[in-house]
Amino acid sequence: MDFAGLEPGDEFPPTAFQLDAETVAAYLEAVEGENHRRVAGETVPPLAVAARALAALSAGLELPPGAIHVGQVLGFRGTVKTGERLTSHARVARKIARGKLNMLAIDFEVRDERQTTVLTGETSFVLPPPAEES
Amino acid sequence: MALNVGTSLPELKRRVAQERINLYARASGDFNPIHLDPDFARKTPLGSTIAHGMLILAYLSEMLTGAFGRDWLGSGSLDIRFKAPARPGDTITAGGKITGIQPEDGSRIITLEVLCRNQQDEPVITGSAKVRVPA
Repeated sequence: MDFAGLEPGDEFPPTAFQLDAETVAAYLEAVEGENHRRVAGETVPPLAVAARALAALSAGLELPPGAIHVGQVLGFRGTVKTGERLTSHARVARKIARGKLNMLAIDFEVRDERQTTVLTGETSFVLPPPAEES
Repeated sequence: MALNVGTSLPELKRRVAQERINLYARASGDFNPIHLDPDFARKTPLGSTIAHGMLILAYLSEMLTGAFGRDWLGSGSLDIRFKAPARPGDTITAGGKITGIQPEDGSRIITLEVLCRNQQDEPVITGSAKVRVPA
């Protein structure tokens, strides 16, 4: 789906994913997550869940080169264990196309196998204006 | 740590390195070349690779995990803006200050102003956070 074709309320196909122990270990090494390792045991960092949900979203969203991730809202609703199967659901929350300002906000929610919501979020992008036709 | 309005949380410093950006790409599944390919990035207005915004946001979450432990992981929330890119070689400092404490359902909701800034003291991420802690 590209920006021009999106409308508020449009839903993206749900995406399933899981974070195995190897991926979580790589994530914690990347972000130098010593505090998380110390306090959380087998719990997946919520930002790792959010990052996976956003990557899944990006795969289904054709943003033009120059699109910038400008804002992020996240709410942690419960903890996720390593290897749990998760599903991300996303929809267009707002779209602004006014002159040179193009903004897109997408709501998403991640649920576990019991359909319990473990994470909610809204991600905002600013997009470059469409190229002018000559 | 005493939780009072005005209390600053212990800061967390991290140096951004291309190797960790590459590792983050594999762990997150975000392989945008602006983060990974110096030749590609040189030809963009940014001029060099930049860290994923969510990688820098993870430093903030790590700082809040240090301050609030499992309370943060199970009940935290963030509302932030990405203000500037972070590049390999930058040093990012993540910090927060308590701006409100509200009793709710036998717990306390702590509201914080949060910030990640670079070595030039420029804001990279600004925003707010909330966490529920025992009364």
